[in-house]
Amino acid sequence: MKVDKESISLADLKEILGKETHRIGHFTSLDGGQLLALLLDPSQGDKGVKLYEIALENGINSYPSLTIKHPQLHWFERALFDMFGIIPSGHPRLKHLYLHEPYERNFFPLRRVPLPENFNSPIDRRFHFLEVKGEGIYELPVGPIHAGVIEPGHFRFSCLGETIINLEIQLGYLHRGVEKRLTEVPLKHMHFLAEAVASDTSTANALAHAEAIESLAEIEVSERSKYLRSIALEIERLAMHIVDVGGMSTDIGLLGIASAMGRLRGTALGMGDLLTGSRFLRGFIVPGGVRLPVNNGLFKLKGQVARLRHELKEPIAMFLDNQMALERMREVGVLKASLAKEFGMVGPAGRASGQDYDVRRAFSHAAYPNMAPPTVTAREGDILAREMVRIKEIWSTLDTIDRLLDNLPEGETTGADFSKVRLKPDSFAVGIVEAFRGELLHLVATDKEGKVARYAVKHPSFNNWTALAIAIRNNLIADFPLCNKSFSLSYSGNDL
Amino acid sequence: MLELLGYLLKQGVATSRENFPDLPEHVRGLPIVTDKDCAETCNQGTALCADLCPTQAIDLSEANKPKLDLGKCIACGLCTDVCPSGTLVNDRRTRTARASREALISTRESPAQTAATKDSKETKPAKAGLFKRSLAVRVVSTGCSACDMEIGASLNPIFDMERFGVTVVASPRYADALVVTGPVPLGMRAALLSCYEAMSSPRLVVALGTCAISGGLHGGGYSQADGVDKILPVDIYIPGCPPHPWSIIDGMLAAKSLKT
Ligand code: SF4
Repeated sequence: MKVDKESISLADLKEILGKETHRIGHFTSLDGGQLLALLLDPSQGDKGVKLYEIALENGINSYPSLTIKHPQLHWFERALFDMFGIIPSGHPRLKHLYLHEPYERNFFPLRRVPLPENFNSPIDRRFHFLEVKGEGIYELPVGPIHAGVIEPGHFRFSCLGETIINLEIQLGYLHRGVEKRLTEVPLKHMHFLAEAVASDTSTANALAHAEAIESLAEIEVSERSKYLRSIALEIERLAMHIVDVGGMSTDIGLLGIASAMGRLRGTALGMGDLLTGSRFLRGFIVPGGVRLPVNNGLFKLKGQVARLRHELKEPIAMFLDNQMALERMREVGVLKASLAKEFGMVGPAGRASGQDYDVRRAFSHAAYPNMAPPTVTAREGDILAREMVRIKEIWSTLDTIDRLLDNLPEGETTGADFSKVRLKPDSFAVGIVEAFRGELLHLVATDKEGKVARYAVKHPSFNNWTALAIAIRNNLIADFPLCNKSFSLSYSGNDL
Repeated sequence: MLELLGYLLKQGVATSRENFPDLPEHVRGLPIVTDKDCAETCNQGTALCADLCPTQAIDLSEANKPKLDLGKCIACGLCTDVCPSGTLVNDRRTRTARASREALISTRESPAQTAATKDSKETKPAKAGLFKRSLAVRVVSTGCSACDMEIGASLNPIFDMERFGVTVVASPRYADALVVTGPVPLGMRAALLSCYEAMSSPRLVVALGTCAISGGLHGGGYSQADGVDKILPVDIYIPGCPPHPWSIIDGMLAAKSLKT
């Protein structure tokens, strides 16, 4: 959707943040000369999306940090510093988020206004871990390379005996500089890069990209395309929720269930294949419409939904019936609702801690909110609650696909002819999507020639990583893998 | 427990009976150059394929001699969709691993490109008790996780890579091959190199996926995410974005056949 930017002062922003029940969608800059705050009020629907610009005085690249009052901003302010060299002064834990030792001290990739004269970054590139002191405390470093086949990140545990006192998470290993690359590649290729931000979330990324570009180019999308996009998004959610429940079974040691889930995930991926010709639904959602292959298997999808609904029943019932599994998940890694709100948590992990927020019901994208299923929430905030939300969403997703297929409108679906697409100059647009991990957001700004000047991505995991570090406190080290898995966090989506 | 056992028995054998089957009709594989002439109009400079390609994988600098670099291709299928002459077609074969970077370049003279694996007992599942040809691999992910998930899939009951003698191990110390996914941005270099150093010789390196081979969509930026062979010698290349589980198994078997 298009968003109009309103210029306000920092004092105004503080007031707005203090008074209203907004969540922070994004907090960044355009070129280093200003702050941009995208605030979302899900209860207001599309009207609740507001973009504010706070100019920074000429030659000044700092402002008083807002993190202490608004913990949601903790990582946003770190990322802002990393990418633009804007210093949130007084930030309680200012350290680099993306760019570590291999980069020069004063390198800020997205900054275009010159740095103040004689500027020198207040911190070096090393990651200074918070040290827990006291008798018997020891540190346990894990990563960046992990034992399994997963993305890299570093965890530093401070433990007393088997209990985790503090966990610090260092990410950024996968920083590929996609936000910068997205402003460099031609528009016709941009959607491929946008979906490769994190390819397990490729459909959601492609959708957020398409929504933003379409509003900037004032392209209308057919109802049929919208429905097909929703089907693709739900297939992605289905496949990934199945993976997550399977992963949980692996970590608990229920290998039989894990292998059944692995096979059933294959069926879900096969649905992607049928619809798009790609197991990861790559290149399906394009600005303007969808790319439906000529010999697609759309007509076979209903059968696959029925089959999965039937075949998933047994392994999931056994999983939820297993005393060992339940004991390992119940009351472990608890995150209270009040904290989940404070961190601005999203997705199944947020909903498991009582956050009643599903983008499908709040903001328009694809065939939502019309075709959105009821929001699934839980209150316990433990591993089991997170798995329960996911499992319930597996069922609601299957129902949603069915409903979308039953009501699929006729019409054109072809994507835009890029040779004719012109983006509106000096404008902002945002695509907000409920990815399988939660709120995913692409914020796109054009310059006066209508070229993409800033492309900001906010992956759902960006909101949720801190919550993992908090939830695991005072839990056993042996419970970390399970707890980690239950949050289902993306490294590449966060690292950009 | 009994219930689970009963369930598993009831499922029967999920494993694919055929090895390296072609992809089904509706699935997009990698493109390939055939020996067909390019269309006249394309030779006069109106060809769309190279222009559409998101990763500049198609080189048309010589008329009627398209060069297609599978090491850059992300299998978007745009080029094969627009090709009017059938010079570029969708290749649904799954034996796609190659033993050199050059072998990934598909041209009209060498359209088929020899697979790195030969049809032999190498590509058949190892018989029980026959352990002498095994391969232990350490996977290091430096990318977006799609390739990692397809490695996971190649270990699932349908593809079951382990029956070919390939195991994924948790430490580089006892790995024969280092399998790298992702474009290796600056942030991952030190970790990847120390992992390689921890392996004992002889050791192999497998670049799995287009990002690992050339940086793919991510190459060319300030993070220098331009692929593994910028910092390590690569023995086997598995193209695809992400490669199909069968292609991954093909690559592992190619690596196994290099093991001396
Ligand atoms: S299929 Fe490969 S070569 Fe063809 S346009 Fe897409 S990326 Fe380029």
